[in-house]
Amino acid sequence: MLKQILNAMRTGLLEIRAHKTRSVLSFLSIAVGSVVFMDAFASIYHTYKMVRMQKETSGIARLRIAPQYSNWGDVESSKKRDAGVLTYDDVVDLKTKMPELFMVSPEANDWDVVSYKDRRFLSSMSGITPEWRKRDFFYKLRGRFLDWDDVKNTVRVCVVIKRAIPPPSNSLYKAVRQSYDYTRKIKDFIAHTDLLGKTIKLNKFDFTVIGVLEELPESKRPMNGFSFGQSSVLAPITTMQKYGIVDTRRSLELEIDTGEEQTFYDKLKNIKQFLQIRFGDLEAFSVQDKMDDYKSKVRQSIMNAMATLSLGMLAFIAGGIGIMNVTLATVFARTKEIGIRRALGASRWDIMLQFMVEGVMLGLMGGLLGSVLGYFWGGPIKVILGMPQVYVEPWMALIAILIAAFTAFAFAIYPAWLAASLKPADALRTE
Amino acid sequence: MSIACGEIKKIYEGGKAGWPALKGVSFEIKKGEFTAITGPSGCGKSTLLNIIGLLDEPSSGSYLLEGKDTAKMSDRERSVFRRDGIGFIFQSFNLLNRVSVLENVCLPMRYAAVPNRKMLARAMNLLARVGLQGKERKLPLELSGGERQRVAISRALANEPKIILADEPTGNLDSVSSKEIMKILLELNGAGLTVVMVTHDMNLAALAGRNLKMKDGLLEC
Repeated sequence: MLKQILNAMRTGLLEIRAHKTRSVLSFLSIAVGSVVFMDAFASIYHTYKMVRMQKETSGIARLRIAPQYSNWGDVESSKKRDAGVLTYDDVVDLKTKMPELFMVSPEANDWDVVSYKDRRFLSSMSGITPEWRKRDFFYKLRGRFLDWDDVKNTVRVCVVIKRAIPPPSNSLYKAVRQSYDYTRKIKDFIAHTDLLGKTIKLNKFDFTVIGVLEELPESKRPMNGFSFGQSSVLAPITTMQKYGIVDTRRSLELEIDTGEEQTFYDKLKNIKQFLQIRFGDLEAFSVQDKMDDYKSKVRQSIMNAMATLSLGMLAFIAGGIGIMNVTLATVFARTKEIGIRRALGASRWDIMLQFMVEGVMLGLMGGLLGSVLGYFWGGPIKVILGMPQVYVEPWMALIAILIAAFTAFAFAIYPAWLAASLKPADALRTE
Repeated sequence: MSIACGEIKKIYEGGKAGWPALKGVSFEIKKGEFTAITGPSGCGKSTLLNIIGLLDEPSSGSYLLEGKDTAKMSDRERSVFRRDGIGFIFQSFNLLNRVSVLENVCLPMRYAAVPNRKMLARAMNLLARVGLQGKERKLPLELSGGERQRVAISRALANEPKIILADEPTGNLDSVSSKEIMKILLELNGAGLTVVMVTHDMNLAALAGRNLKMKDGLLEC
C-alpha cells in the first residue's frame, strides 16, 4: 500500500510539473481558503485565550463606579454632583458592609507635574490602595508595591509604570496615537530612566520611588489591557489627598470585583442599594456593568470570527471545486494513459489512488502555501495595513494544511472514480 | 498459457441493434504457439485481441484463459492476469512520453511491487537484450520508431509474461525495423512464449506457425 502511494506520488509530481499553470491555479484557490481560515481561526483562538487570561488576571465579575460626567456643567444637576462625591471614607464603609467583595479599589485621578532633577513632565497620576494590585496586574514588579502601612501613615512613596513598547503599526496610527497622548514624554522618560530608589517630585513634594511596574507586551495582556492614557505614577490615595495632589472635592472612581460570577447581579444590587442609601439617588454615578460589556464584546468577537470562518470554509469549497475541475480535466487529457496503465496491470484501485493522490498533493501544496501566506497576512501585512494583528500558532497552520488536504481529497473522489471506471479498451482507443 | 474462445460475440453500442464487431468466433491457441490473426481493416482483429488480453469483455460466448472462465473474474483478477501473464505490444507503441525509457519499462513492475533494485536491474537487462543499452535515460520521443517499439517489447516482457499480444507491431515501422521486431518476436516464441499477433501483412503472418484469417467478424475456415 505504501509503495502504491509512493508510486502515485511520483507520478503525481511529474503531472503537476508537466501542467504547472493548471496546477498552480488550482492550489492557489485552496491557498486562499487556508489564509482566510487561518485568520478566522487565529481570531477565535485569540479571543478564547484572552477570555481565559481575563478570567485569571482580571476576573469578569467587575463593575466600575464613576461620577456621572455627563451631568457636569449642568446647573440643575450641580446639587446632585455635590451630593455624589464618593470619598475614601465611603469606600472603607462599603468594604466594612460587604467584606465578601473580592476587590474594592478606589482611584483618585488627576493631572500634575512630575519633576526629577531639572526635568519636568505633565503626567496623570493616581491615588490608590494595595487593592489595585488584585486585578489587571499584568506587570513585572521591580522593588515593592504600595502596602496598607503606606496608606494608613500617608507615606510619600510611589510606584511608576514603565509602558510596554506598543505593537508595530502603520505610520498613520502612530501619528494619531502620538498627537493625542499628552503623557508621551513622561512615559518615554520612565522607559529610559531607572527611577527605582530615586526621589521624584509630585507637584512640589518629594516622593520615593519604591517600585517599578513593567507592563507586559500587548500580546500577553487580556482584552481590557488598555493602557492608552492611563496614569504613569501611583501613590497611596491618602497621601495624594493629604498633600492636595488630587482634588479632594472630586469623587473617587471605584473599581469593584464582586468575586464569583454567579452572585454578581445580587452583589451589584446590594452596591446600588448602598449608593442609594448614602447619596439619595443613583443619578450622580454611572455604574458600568463590566461583565455585561465584556460578555457582549466576546460575543461580538466570536460572531465576527465565525463569519470569517464561514468565509474561509466557502473559500475551501471553492478551492475544492477548482481541484475537482483540474482533476477532471486531467482525467480527460490522460484517458489514453489510463488505458495504457490498465493494460500494464493497473487495477481500478491503482487508477483511483493515482488521481486521489494527485488531488491531495495539490491540496497539500495549497495548504502549505496558504499557511505561509496566512502567517504573513496575520502578522506583518495586517500591521502594515493598520489592522489588528492576529497571533498565528504553528498548529493552526497544521490544521489548515490538513483541512486543505481533506477538502482536496473529498473533491478528487468523483474524478478519480470516473477515471477508474473507464474500460481499458475504450481508454486505449482515445486519441 | 492456453486460450480457448467459444462463440465469442462483441456488439458495440450504437444504433438500434448496435454494431457487431465479432459475430461468433471460436478457436483455441495452445501454449507456445505463434498465431497470427489476419484480415482486412474493420474485420474485428483488434477487438478479438482486446478480448484475449482482458482489456475488453465479449457480449456473449465463453473465453477460457489457462482453463479459467474470464467472465467470472473480478476486475482485480483481470488486472493481475494482465500484469503478470500478458505482455502487450501496440502499433502506436503506447509509451508514456513524459517519463524515461527506463521508467516506461519499470512501470508494469511497479504495479507488481517488484523491489526497486531488482526492478531496475531487470529493466536494464531487458533494454540491453533489445539493443537499447545507453538509451535508458532518454525520453521515448527522442528515439526512432523501431527503438520505441523495442522499448515497448522490453516493457511487455517486464513481468515475465506467458503470452505476448501484439497488435500490428510493425504497422508504424520501416521494413528494416519490422524485420528486427519480427526477429525478436520469433526469438520470444522460441523461448516458449505464446505469441498472438494481429497483422494485415501476409508476409509477416507467414512467419507465424498458424494463421487465423478473419472477415466481417468471423473466422474464415
